[in-house]
Amino acid sequence: MKRGDGVEDTLISSDLIRGHIDTIVLGLLVDQDRYGYEICKQVTLLSEGEYELKEPTLYAAFRRLEAQGLVRSYWGGESQGGRRKYYALTPEGEGAYRRNLEDWKRARRLIDRLVSGMEVKE
Amino acid sequence: MQSTDAIRYYVKGAFQGVKETPEVLEQQEEVIANLSAKVDDLVSEGKSEAEALGIALASVGDLGGLAAQFESAGPKPVLTAVVYGGRLDFHVVVVTVAVGVVLMMLSVALGAIAGGIYPESGLPLVLTLAAAVWWIATAWKTFRQAPEKTESRELAYKPRIRHALMVWAGVCGAALLLELVTGGFWPWPIWVAATGWLSHVWAERALIAHGMFVVPEETASAASSPERREAIGDKVLA
Repeated sequence: MKRGDGVEDTLISSDLIRGHIDTIVLGLLVDQDRYGYEICKQVTLLSEGEYELKEPTLYAAFRRLEAQGLVRSYWGGESQGGRRKYYALTPEGEGAYRRNLEDWKRARRLIDRLVSGMEVKE
Repeated sequence: MQSTDAIRYYVKGAFQGVKETPEVLEQQEEVIANLSAKVDDLVSEGKSEAEALGIALASVGDLGGLAAQFESAGPKPVLTAVVYGGRLDFHVVVVTVAVGVVLMMLSVALGAIAGGIYPESGLPLVLTLAAAVWWIATAWKTFRQAPEKTESRELAYKPRIRHALMVWAGVCGAALLLELVTGGFWPWPIWVAATGWLSHVWAERALIAHGMFVVPEETASAASSPERREAIGDKVLA
C-alpha cells in the first residue's frame, strides 16, 4: 500500500498497524457481516481511541480482499444515507484469517524475545 | 436531511474527473452511506448536525487516493507537435507521389506480363499523372510562400487513417462502377492512384515520428530534442 493512502499518524505509529489491516478487517467479519462504518467504529472502540482506521484505507482493503476472494459484498437495505454495502467472510477468507492470526502470534512471541534486550548465555 | 446532500456533494467532488462506471457509482454510494451512518452516530451521541458533518468529513480525509484507483474520464489529451507545415506537406506529397509512381509502374508491368493492355487506360493514366503534378506544384507553391511557417499539428492518426480509407473506398467504388457500366477494366489507374494516395497519412506519420520538420526546442516549446523526438516517435507509432 502506498503511503498517504489514508492512514495518518495517530496515537500509535500507523506503520506498525499497516501490514495487519487486512487481518483486522477479516477478524471483524468472523462473527457477523458488517458495513464500512461499523468496522471503523469497532476499530476505534477496540483500540480505545488509540488507533483510527481511515475510511480510504478501509476501502482499499475491501477492494483488495474482494479481489482475492477473501470477502464478498452485498447491498443491504435502504437507510437515510442510501444503501449500505455489507461485507461477509468467504470460506477462503476464514482460512486466511486463521493463518494470519497464527502467523501474528508466532511473530509476536519472536519479536518480544528479540527486542527484550536479554542475552543468551552459550 | 441536510447533511446527506453535503456528503453527496463532497464525495461527488472527490470523484470529479473519474469515469462514472457502475463500479465507481457503487463506490461513491458506499462512501456516502458510511459517512451518513457516521454523522447519524455522532448526532445520536449529542453532537449538532453541523458539528457531526464537520467531524465526519474531516475524518474521511482526502478521497483523492481512492478516486485515483479508478479510470479517469474523458479523452486522453492529444499530443501535438510544432512542425514546419509547408515543408512537411511538400515532402509528404513527394513521398506519396513516388509511392504512387512505383505502384503504377508495377501495375503496368503486371498488365504487360498478363497481357491485359487496355488502350482506354491512357486517359485515366494521363489524368492521374496531371493530378500528381498539380498536387506537387501546389504543395511546392505553399511551401515557397512561407518556408519557415510553423504550425501545431495533432499527432492523432487513427481518425485520419480511417477518413483516408473511406475516401479510398469511395474512389475505388466509383471506378468499379465505371468498369461495370462500360464493361472494361480500363479505369484501373484510378484504383492504383487512389491506393498510392492512401500512403500520404503513413508518410506524414513516419516523417514526424523520425523528428523531421519538427521545430527544435529553442524555437518552440513543443520541441524535438532527441528525447522529445523519441517520445513523439513512440506516441505516433503507438
